[in-house]
Amino acid sequence: MVKKSNKKKSNQSNFSKLSIFQNQKFRFKRKCPLSGKGAPTIDYKNIKLLKKYISENGKILPTRITSISQRKQRELATSIKRARNLALL
Amino acid sequence: MNLYEHTIIARQDISPTQVKQIQDKYEKIIEKLKGNIVKTENWGLMQLSYLIKKNKKGNYIHFKIECDGPAISELEKSEKIDKNLLRYLTVKVKKFDLETNYFSKYDEKKQ
Repeated sequence: MVKKSNKKKSNQSNFSKLSIFQNQKFRFKRKCPLSGKGAPTIDYKNIKLLKKYISENGKILPTRITSISQRKQRELATSIKRARNLALL
Repeated sequence: MNLYEHTIIARQDISPTQVKQIQDKYEKIIEKLKGNIVKTENWGLMQLSYLIKKNKKGNYIHFKIECDGPAISELEKSEKIDKNLLRYLTVKVKKFDLETNYFSKYDEKKQ
């Protein structure tokens, strides 16, 4: 039961990222949210953060949508795969 | 000496005393191979996101180890045979993050 409610939440957030009709501000946001000062550290144990960057089917979202820098996206992908192996995601 | 983060998942129908035994068993193996255990975290019984060998839940134990490479391969060798374990994962890290505990919620529930 808990799982379902979680999935719905992530659903909504992802749709807002994909929509063509979304706010201009967010569509062309170019700054990487994971680099710079005060950014959260990417870790396979930090599931709250990783859940933001997977689709409702559990796929990893592309940089096109997430606007993460290339280096951080690579880090993110490996940590998501690690979390999957431990059945955390 | 390298720094490793090591996580193991034990079966769901195991008693807490047995979990302790498993934890002690692998700690001893590392100490025997001249490794140093910096920290052990017991994340407790957690929901698995998919079935593993017909288990819906798993007991998570997390080690932070300082040891050489061959010790880790020896550790994984004995874990492969162990029928009480479902999965294990070793990650080599440059620095230990000892402050943040992402699964502390689960520990509080138990106590």
